[in-house]
Amino acid sequence: MTTVSLGRFLLKRAVQGVFVIWGVVTVVFLLRFITPGDPVTFIAPLDASQELRRRIAAELGLNRPIYVQYLDYLAGLLQGDMGYSYISNTEASARVFARLPATVELAVAATVVAVALSIPLGVVSATRRHEPVDYGATLFSLVGISTPNFWLGIMLVLLLAVQFGLFPTSQRGTGFLPAVAGTVGQFDPGLVVRLAVELRGEALLAYLGKLPLVTWLAHITLPAVTLGTYFTALITRLTRSGMLDELGKSYIRASRAKGLPESLVRYKHALRNTLAPVITVVGLQLGTLIGGAVITEAVFAWPGLGTELIRAINLRDWPLIQGSLIVIGAGFVVVNTLVDALQAYLDPRVVAD
Amino acid sequence: MAGRDLLRVEGLSTRFFTEEGQINAVEDVSFTLREGEVFGIVGESGSGKSVTALSLVDLVESPGRVTAGEVRYRDADLAASVRDRHPDAVDGEFVDLRRVPERVRRSLRGPSFSMIFQDPMSSFNPSVTVGEQIAEAVEVQRRASANPRSTRSRTQGYGLGRLLADTVLPTRSYVSGESRERAVELLEQVGIPDPADRADEYPHQFSGGMLQRAMVAQALAGEPDVLVADEPTTALDVTIQAQILNLLDDLQAEAGMSILLITHNLGVIARTCDRVGVMYAGEVVERGSLTAVFDNPVHPYTQGLLGSIPDLADPAPRLQPIEGSVPDLVDAEMDDRCYFADRCPKAMTECLDKPPEFAVDGDDEHAAMCVLADHDFIESEALRPDYFESPLEGADVDAAESETDD
Repeated sequence: MTTVSLGRFLLKRAVQGVFVIWGVVTVVFLLRFITPGDPVTFIAPLDASQELRRRIAAELGLNRPIYVQYLDYLAGLLQGDMGYSYISNTEASARVFARLPATVELAVAATVVAVALSIPLGVVSATRRHEPVDYGATLFSLVGISTPNFWLGIMLVLLLAVQFGLFPTSQRGTGFLPAVAGTVGQFDPGLVVRLAVELRGEALLAYLGKLPLVTWLAHITLPAVTLGTYFTALITRLTRSGMLDELGKSYIRASRAKGLPESLVRYKHALRNTLAPVITVVGLQLGTLIGGAVITEAVFAWPGLGTELIRAINLRDWPLIQGSLIVIGAGFVVVNTLVDALQAYLDPRVVAD
Repeated sequence: MAGRDLLRVEGLSTRFFTEEGQINAVEDVSFTLREGEVFGIVGESGSGKSVTALSLVDLVESPGRVTAGEVRYRDADLAASVRDRHPDAVDGEFVDLRRVPERVRRSLRGPSFSMIFQDPMSSFNPSVTVGEQIAEAVEVQRRASANPRSTRSRTQGYGLGRLLADTVLPTRSYVSGESRERAVELLEQVGIPDPADRADEYPHQFSGGMLQRAMVAQALAGEPDVLVADEPTTALDVTIQAQILNLLDDLQAEAGMSILLITHNLGVIARTCDRVGVMYAGEVVERGSLTAVFDNPVHPYTQGLLGSIPDLADPAPRLQPIEGSVPDLVDAEMDDRCYFADRCPKAMTECLDKPPEFAVDGDDEHAAMCVLADHDFIESEALRPDYFESPLEGADVDAAESETDD
């Protein structure tokens, strides 16, 4: 694989991605015209006159032909304008992007938890087949895949947050970046050392617990675990079966025959080939998590895009609905393009095809 | 051409423990491999020849296991280094590889034993360049010889952490630049044009013949004493087959290594080997020098194999196939009889007991596991042709009765 062909491959994927996003925009735009519930009825008072309704429609530009509205919307999008929220009369893009970090943070945290747990677990399970650790991992993945995450979320809150008080029950606190900035600003290594030396454990914990990054971590842990459990179980299974599959192939036997150490055979050869399909699923899941964390966000009152989208749908706040859906769709496309790039790096045949 | 014994295999048995039962894939196999010779093992599919090869290099995979026998390998240095710890494994310059730890056997893969496989396409990792895979084999030996006293350096750890580092950091790699250069040299040695460019290509960019050459190059990386070639030409077309065989001939003449050639192709055996063993149902049923076995086959199975080759000089109207097929070797279904008796045109009542190995015509080398090596066919004791096709109902009773009737 030359860098030229890899570059061309990625360029092709990027161009395809642009067209997919355009398609998403179009479908999302047309959704409004095939969905019952005229936004004007939601905005206008119940006893509003026909005249007032017409005026509201004219003000929102809803009385124009569809293609004019469509082109107008596209032109606006290209400038980052998603229109004004009908309900709050603020810019839809501002609301969407205000909610986006919380969602991305949660999705990424869940993915990190899942990948960090599942891939080693899958590998160990495959290389120690029919040993207790393998049965444990298999049982865990079965339970993990079958557990509904709203139930898991509530149970975690009841046990770890309410009963033991280890984590906050809900809410997000600050975002990740402000938390990092705040921690860097106020962290005092001298104090930590002094408290440690004086063996004042409780005071040390209290001090550390007040650091913004620790607060952030405390808030995100339960939602991330809740959201990531199914995902962890899925990737564990996938890694295990992929790894078993690879380890049974002839090239593994040939690698052993040429004298390679077992660790090199397992990690450099078998695991690397196992990861290609695993990464595809991780990417698809990450894309899904960006749009699909609605239930988890609801359980933990997490101020993400999912809750915002549900609220907007209930109020027929179309600019907000459209904006959220487009951002979710674009996120999906971007993640998958990145996954394609990573896959091309791991498996050169992807580019050749 | 042939020198001293390099490898003495005695009573080797390999079994697979499956849910259907125990499968005796290799049963009490003995042969020797001498310095600088090509020893051929020939047999049908399922006769246990590949498992024999894998057993030698300790690559039999679960649920299979080598259960008995000795694999004595002559290596004075190795004998000296394991004598203290494993005195029972050492006999003069020979070391019984079955009695030393797995770690030691593994350290011999590459510098002592190397193996090439049937299907080059599936024997290379599809997502690593061919050059890199050959260079790995070089690198392992380089690292080992940097620290020759320790078998540990060959089996050293390469964990997830190092994999991550080597993958993420572009300047890091398991394989050194010298090993890459050596890989290109090896590719050149096996006759691959533009070796430097081809080293950077992936297996799917190679043709089957070129890839088999690359596999030979990979096997040569550790400069092995014994090359085990498991059906090296089966997946290739005929002209390419000839090229690969010529290549093996040339390399053997150059490096003076011994080759154990596993094949079902009698033409390949006739063309390449000095001595040959014929396998059937997990056993070596006849062995000897190429000329002895091919010109004077004693075992009816060997005769059958040779009889099923078309002869260009005297094209007979029909070939003589061997009726039936290899038994499935599940322990419970195998009696203690000559395994070939059910397909043998000359089966006698005597064959219902397992025949011992007989030397043929007083030749020490030539031996066959068949009573016909000892005496001639006795017509009055012949088994009737359908003897082993026991009827579906009351099989045992009927068989016993018909036996007494005869």
